[in-house]
Amino acid sequence: MPPAAKLPAASPVEVTVDFDSSIQSLSALDAAAYRLIGTATCQVDRAGDRYVCRLVSSTNPQKGAVLSSNELKERFLNLVADENLRARVAEKTEGVRNVILALAFGALAANQNDAG
Amino acid sequence: MTLRLYGTASRSAGFSSDEARSVLRLRSVDSVAERHAADFALARTPDDIRRAVEADWSSILVVSDGAIDLPGTFAGRLVTVPPIYDYLAEGDVIGFDHASRKFRTLYRRNSAHNSLLVTERCNNYCLMCSQPPKDVDDRWILGEIKESLPLIDQATRALTFTGGETLSDWEDFIAVLTECRDRLPATAIQVLTNGRAFANSRIVDAWKDIGHPALMAAIPVYASVDHVHDHVVQAKGAFDETILGILKLKDRGQRVEIRVVMHALTAPIIEDTGRWIARNLPFVDHVALMGLENTGFAIANDAMLWMDPVDYGDGLARAVDHLSAAGVNVSVYNLPKCVLPKSVWPHALQSISDWKNGFVEECDRCDEKNTCSGFFTTGRPRFSRAVRAITSQRDKLTALAD
Amino acid sequence: MARFLRPESFSAATEDLSLLPFNFERAGANQYLVANMVGDFVRLSEEELNRLVDLQVRPGDGLYEKAYAAHLITGTNQKAQRQLLAARLRSRMSFLQQTTPLHIFVVTLRCEHSCPYCQVSRQSTDRSRFDMSEQTAMRALDIAFASPTARIKIEFQGGEPLLNFPLIRKIVAAAKQRSGKKLDFVIASNLALLDDAVLDFCKENNVLLSTSLDGPADLHNKNRPRPGANSHELAIAGIRRAREILGPDKVGALMTTTEASLDRVDEIIDEYLEMGLDGIFLRPLSPFGFAIKTKQFAKYDAQKWLAFYERGLRRVLEINRQGTPFREFYAALLLTRMLSDRPIGYVDLRSPAGAGLGALVYNYDGSIFASDEGRMLAETGDDAFRLGHVEHDSYNSLILSDKLIGAISSSLTQCAPECSTCVYESHCGADPVYHYATQGDALGIKPLSAFCARQKGIMGLLLDILENSPEDAAIMRRWAAA
Repeated sequence: MPPAAKLPAASPVEVTVDFDSSIQSLSALDAAAYRLIGTATCQVDRAGDRYVCRLVSSTNPQKGAVLSSNELKERFLNLVADENLRARVAEKTEGVRNVILALAFGALAANQNDAG
Repeated sequence: MTLRLYGTASRSAGFSSDEARSVLRLRSVDSVAERHAADFALARTPDDIRRAVEADWSSILVVSDGAIDLPGTFAGRLVTVPPIYDYLAEGDVIGFDHASRKFRTLYRRNSAHNSLLVTERCNNYCLMCSQPPKDVDDRWILGEIKESLPLIDQATRALTFTGGETLSDWEDFIAVLTECRDRLPATAIQVLTNGRAFANSRIVDAWKDIGHPALMAAIPVYASVDHVHDHVVQAKGAFDETILGILKLKDRGQRVEIRVVMHALTAPIIEDTGRWIARNLPFVDHVALMGLENTGFAIANDAMLWMDPVDYGDGLARAVDHLSAAGVNVSVYNLPKCVLPKSVWPHALQSISDWKNGFVEECDRCDEKNTCSGFFTTGRPRFSRAVRAITSQRDKLTALAD
Repeated sequence: MARFLRPESFSAATEDLSLLPFNFERAGANQYLVANMVGDFVRLSEEELNRLVDLQVRPGDGLYEKAYAAHLITGTNQKAQRQLLAARLRSRMSFLQQTTPLHIFVVTLRCEHSCPYCQVSRQSTDRSRFDMSEQTAMRALDIAFASPTARIKIEFQGGEPLLNFPLIRKIVAAAKQRSGKKLDFVIASNLALLDDAVLDFCKENNVLLSTSLDGPADLHNKNRPRPGANSHELAIAGIRRAREILGPDKVGALMTTTEASLDRVDEIIDEYLEMGLDGIFLRPLSPFGFAIKTKQFAKYDAQKWLAFYERGLRRVLEINRQGTPFREFYAALLLTRMLSDRPIGYVDLRSPAGAGLGALVYNYDGSIFASDEGRMLAETGDDAFRLGHVEHDSYNSLILSDKLIGAISSSLTQCAPECSTCVYESHCGADPVYHYATQGDALGIKPLSAFCARQKGIMGLLLDILENSPEDAAIMRRWAAA
């Protein structure tokens, strides 16, 4: 009896996205890549003044179906956009965040009887 | 019918010109209680007057429109007021101005709703204010209240202090509250205030130091958003100070009630406001959602403020649900049951002070009249289009309609 | 009389506005779910989110009001919102002031059941090998009483703890002799050995009973084999008898979810209803039998479990709508986090994690673990969460051990990648033991974590119901306050 035919393994989807390194932060790319773990791997290289991100979709994704090349690219770009926005928000709110934490737990917490 | 709590005496005699004002307590002619210097025998008939003189009363207050016959030997103090003040009774306290003969009924012993006005000054200027602020030096009022406290029956269940802004002269006012603690230890005190003074830690600490066993600050909050609240109270920065004040009061374990008066600016957002209070200030001791009293500034701003309560019933019911689901004590004041959704009825209280509380003819055949708040008699009462007697017949009709 | 000012007079200028800290997550086409510093949720369109970040908001434009009430913006010179957020944050974290409230005593490893998912029990009559000694118990009690909190709960587990009932008696008596703490006692038992002596003891000493009820008879017995194949029958009888003698609020039941449970949530809930229980805890599949035996955490199907959970929750809500009060306890916990700032010390739903700080486990042999799962891990030879031993450790040495501090600090959601910016972070928790067992380190890679997938799934579901189903929302709001 001939062995049952095996389906050929789906070849992993690959896509490359690059960014201008003078306006795109590396930490945002790393954070986006982290969120993509289980769906695709992401390797970030530097080529001149650009960051080059090579995305390879997992053959065995943790959640959801295998993404097409366009879907993967869109997904990654959305993640990067979100991380850039997070960075902006963090920068604008770091000061007041520290004040609130100090009021809650730190130096300002005990001194409720200030003039404020 | 509104009780007249102020007026002018038709006649007075025997008052010293050294003092501008006196505080009077009314006593029955036959009273055998120890007489305080401020006690006046209360007389309604010539016979009462005769017996008062025989009993050696040196001060007499007469409620009458007729001529008064006093023996020529009477050298004491006399005040005569018209019969419209016939409600006056034993134990009541009156503030009397010697020169003008003007008087105010400060306290009625047989009433459950005694309210002492502390000042007419205020640092807010609410669009619907029932006691429009005046920029006057009326600090004498606190002195009059201090004089009144020893005359008030110690069995009095509750007293409210109102204004204006009660904390306008906070040091003197807190001294009065301390007196209350000592002279009326069994009397619960409610203070109506915009709460802004409590943003100042010094003032909250002084409040806390009174150590009163039953003291509640009742503070209005009209929105979950600063500019909306500030617009209603006509003071920029009020929301921030008021919320901070509430936080500081609760931080020091003081009792706080939040009040929301509902009208066209606050009622459409009442669900949001209720949900915000439930989420951010669930530790307050009570929340009162209140129907509008159409008096004072509310009349001037009627076009901006009037909203038929039946049109905000749904939002109100949802606000009550959010608050009670969060474990907050919530009551609805000043709204008759016929205009309220049934889910709100358990929270609707008979809240209108007796002297300004009334019903309309329709209410005579209503099943719920005995537990209903009725209406305000002050100002220009406006009635919801939904005012209707609640009868079992009406329930049947409603069931059919459903 | 002064004139009244129009609304415009009370508006803040844009330059007087400040952004407050928030997290966000894409939630569909052109929609973002946003959470402020204490986890209040609000939904914004992409345009609204960008306007918010640029502070292009104006009083009266709708977005200003939404953002202000949700503490996403404030006046630069205002004070109240900052103080409010601080006060709420302090309240949410105040569970940290109660360390360590739960102390688990594994009085014996012996058990007459042979449940396939259990790591720890031993089929044996050798008491000397598998029973806790009195000396160990008393030393463990020393440690428990050294925890700073004013009230502790002592929970007896096993094996089957009633197989060493005499020691339970001794521990309860000894604990009550000691002063300084309020005490609660629970026995986690399969109830097969419940008799009058045990019930009398529980009644006299106000001891609660907690048992396993996995569902209808066939499901329960398949999960929990014992000689006579009558585990379900005995559990039911035990629950009934115990409720009758001790009172209905003194007996609780927990289910263990297995693959076989996933298609039968309606029947499981009906079983609980029929027993007159006031709610059910729809628990996740434990990874320990599965992952430890097969090392296949990667294949874990969170979606299947989430479907089970959603179906169960909706069934519970239907029961409530029909007039019977009945709660799903995990939803109730999460809702308390989402709708109030009451502190919750539930060990699996907090950061810093509940390992050690929330609970300590004293094993029959005197070794001490940071959690019950940590004990299970040790059965396979992995000592990662073994903190010490009653012979030579004190409460302080256990809590301040490098092992525990390392596990807790490395798993903090407030600092972890993805967690620290997650929109659900205020309501979530760190589970270092779970992530260690399934991925090999206390932090874990969250995109690969079934714990993370479950948490996001449940919270998304609860939000959906709160926003779109008013009757169910009103029911769930009351679970949060109970």
